[in-house]
Amino acid sequence: MTNGRLLRWLRPWVFPVVLVGAFEWYARRAAALGSDALAPPSAAAKALAGAAIDGSLWTATGFTLGTAALGLLLGAVLGIALGVALGLSRRAAQLGSVSIEVLRPVPSVALIPLAMLGFGFGVRMELAIVAFATFWPLLVLVQAAVQQVEPRLLEVSRVLGLSARERAFKIVLPAIVPRLFVALRLGVAVALVVAVTVEIAANPNGMGYAMMIAQQSFDPALMLAWLGWIGIVGFAVNAGMLMLQRVVSRRMGVPS
Amino acid sequence: MIAAPAPLTARAALQPGAYHAPAGTAAQAVPFLRFDGVTIRLGGREILSPTSFDVARGEFVCIVGPSGCGKTTLLRAASGLVTASAGEVRRNGVKMTEPSREVAFVFQDYGRALLPWRTVEGNVSLALEAAGVPAAQRAPRIADVLGKVGLAKHAHKFPVQLSGGMQQRAQIARCLAQKPELMMMDEPFGALDALTRQSLQDELARLVREDGLTVLFVTHDLEEAIYLGDRVIALQANPGPGRPSLARMIDVKIPRPRDQLSTKEHPEYLHLRRELFAFIEQGHD
Repeated sequence: MTNGRLLRWLRPWVFPVVLVGAFEWYARRAAALGSDALAPPSAAAKALAGAAIDGSLWTATGFTLGTAALGLLLGAVLGIALGVALGLSRRAAQLGSVSIEVLRPVPSVALIPLAMLGFGFGVRMELAIVAFATFWPLLVLVQAAVQQVEPRLLEVSRVLGLSARERAFKIVLPAIVPRLFVALRLGVAVALVVAVTVEIAANPNGMGYAMMIAQQSFDPALMLAWLGWIGIVGFAVNAGMLMLQRVVSRRMGVPS
Repeated sequence: MIAAPAPLTARAALQPGAYHAPAGTAAQAVPFLRFDGVTIRLGGREILSPTSFDVARGEFVCIVGPSGCGKTTLLRAASGLVTASAGEVRRNGVKMTEPSREVAFVFQDYGRALLPWRTVEGNVSLALEAAGVPAAQRAPRIADVLGKVGLAKHAHKFPVQLSGGMQQRAQIARCLAQKPELMMMDEPFGALDALTRQSLQDELARLVREDGLTVLFVTHDLEEAIYLGDRVIALQANPGPGRPSLARMIDVKIPRPRDQLSTKEHPEYLHLRRELFAFIEQGHD
């Protein structure tokens, strides 16, 4: 029994360990042949520890996560509000459909020049782009979720005489919570990707910029350290969201 | 179109249900609830052909008929959930255009009508929140209605943790919390097993008597209609052009309180049962 459980727990780690081992072997061989483009994972881990000790790891991670979270908050609040409105009113959905379909496919990175003109380098530009990028998936998914709210519940709200505000906050929003979490998890992933992208391309702050600096100063170990760290941070954030989703579902009496 | 059912209206006015409070002269002039040529067309199809009848305050009216005859639609029109294509529903002389807190609606699919994320207590509370009852006054009122429907011990459970019968009790409790004067019930016990149904029928009859409620009760179960009703209204499907959906109106003069054994052996019950069954079968060929 215990052995079986241990095996089940270990199995997902087999492939990463093998991969890292193979990479270690390959990078060491490349280094022995005189290449400085690659660094073995052991060197990357050392570089990561160094960044953790001198504090640059935490500053950059905090900046990227903070900006991504704030941008997501902005995008999500606007996206959820508009999604609920468009989901409840067919007329509003028709009014907005063309604008949404034209604006939604614009790649968020394509907004960097515009955002730079408007906000200059720094937090505000990154916030604006993250908000823009997360706004669309939330809008579209929330609108679909609202349209699928049990019609009987909306009738109940009419018969009980709930106001439009009460209907939104007491019926519609709680009813879409499971789908809202799916949308939010997607939004978190988008926010992180876009934040790092903006930092690589334009904003001299955060994890993306730190990785660029490491690359430009021919420090492949540190660059790989950042790359691996970004992956770990993304994994941790997603796991946190899953846990939050489970807690909320349980509290709302919805078996997850 | 409205002329055809007029005699029925007159008959209903002359024969109010036998078990409601005596109506004063003013109440007789303005019936509590009046269906006046109510017609509903949806997507080019006439769901309900011109239907007229009156309901007196405190009366328990059961509506029966084959599926597709417009029973549920009639109820939805009476509560303002759908608007009549022609004719009107007047409550206390005022035309009903939209749902009102004085009219409660018990849906058949209790599983969908309860908020799954709220406990029984929370679901009942919703009616009070909608009515603007201050938070401090809600708890005693919730406890009161839950006591009435026998759910006092289950106040903190979520709907998924309850049996079908208990979920329907929770929905009825929420409707009672509205303090309605009129309760619409759309096949409320249709999905329940026979024993649960019988006990809920008896409890409903008791609640209605205690609170002096007026009830419109749709059912496909003729025995249930006779057992519960002061009057049974039978609708017919596709009555033909210009003819009313309302096919038959029967007064149930069986004394109250009724009970599952002796009432169902009462000669009047057996007589009405035979009459109604014969009528419905006739309508089917």
